[in-house]
Amino acid sequence: MSALAHMIESRGVPSVAIGLVRPHLEATRAPRSLFVPFQLGRPLGEPGDAAFQRRVLLHALGLLERRDGPVILEDFAEDAPNERDTPGWQPPFALPAPPPSAGLPAALAAAIAHLGPWWDRAQARFGRTTVGLCGLPPEAWPGYAAPFLDGALPAAPSAFSPALTLRYLADDLKAFCMEAVQAEGPAASSRQINAWFWNATAAGRMLLALRRVAQASEEKGLQTIARFLVPVPWLPADHQ
Amino acid sequence: MARIDDIPEPTRSAVLALPCPPFADQPFLAGPPLSQRRVAIISSAALHPRGTPPFPAGTPEVRMLPADLPAASLLMSHISINFDRTGFQRDINTAYPIDRLRELAAEGVIGGVAATHYAVMGSTDPRTMAATADQIAGQLRQERIDAVLLTPV
Repeated sequence: MSALAHMIESRGVPSVAIGLVRPHLEATRAPRSLFVPFQLGRPLGEPGDAAFQRRVLLHALGLLERRDGPVILEDFAEDAPNERDTPGWQPPFALPAPPPSAGLPAALAAAIAHLGPWWDRAQARFGRTTVGLCGLPPEAWPGYAAPFLDGALPAAPSAFSPALTLRYLADDLKAFCMEAVQAEGPAASSRQINAWFWNATAAGRMLLALRRVAQASEEKGLQTIARFLVPVPWLPADHQ
Repeated sequence: MARIDDIPEPTRSAVLALPCPPFADQPFLAGPPLSQRRVAIISSAALHPRGTPPFPAGTPEVRMLPADLPAASLLMSHISINFDRTGFQRDINTAYPIDRLRELAAEGVIGGVAATHYAVMGSTDPRTMAATADQIAGQLRQERIDAVLLTPV
């Protein structure tokens, strides 16, 4: 982003870039930048904390009034207060145990059915959902994903390839579950939400299984998307 | 938390390997006081209106986001799975601070909020984005915007 800031300013519009990776800011030497020590994905730091976001924004925008450039690089002094785990946090629901003989698609279908009302509550709480990339409704996801486990390539519901549809389905599935688990109660850390998703849900197990199948596939699209299903820090040892 | 040593491998190496091209020039433009500036956001979160296609991997394209686009109509299709999305799920302003900008404009801290904001795919090599920068700058000039805030993910 700091490179794009440089390019925009070169074209006549003053810029200020927030940055999450300080070495990038140092390398690109954008006209004005503010390094913020927050986790990747959160340039304003703290969801739901307008006062904190405002402090970040005022610091960044304030750099536009400085005259001591070129190359102003400052550090935001505060850490985001709620990046640490929330003591005692638990999901607001207990997931049903799937029948022992049920396969992953059936377990995923049961989990989605159980989480549906919680996802509805999350949408009421936050006013929106970020689900909506793959073009299929949640109840159709297990049926679309299941053939991949058997080495088949189901027809895609849209102009996307089957592999790309699966990748967007994975994004939607993560968003669906992670929004549902935030439907009530105090905010959990992102680490707690990811730990729950990858360690305790059929959705996480399904994505791990799909990653393994995609990696071993001879279909190039599946090989490509295999890298975009499960973050490496959440891969179990036997998947690495 | 995103201090570089805190980012787990292999994400840390991947982040550090992202291209950061050097530039021959060093622009630094003056402008009016902040209270007179109209501000636009450029986000690298691959945001796009619901119902429009996701960003393809590696694309240098820009999507224009009308300022009045409802938060519920905004999706994120960034290819990377190595950054947090739970904050954005709770609050759009965590990555796209449109409400905070509106508040600052209402208070007179900034002169106004642009009618158009911009989203790109942050992992794209900036060396492929000259035409995109031209396109964004052209729209900014057309709307008489005199400050851009770039927000990464």
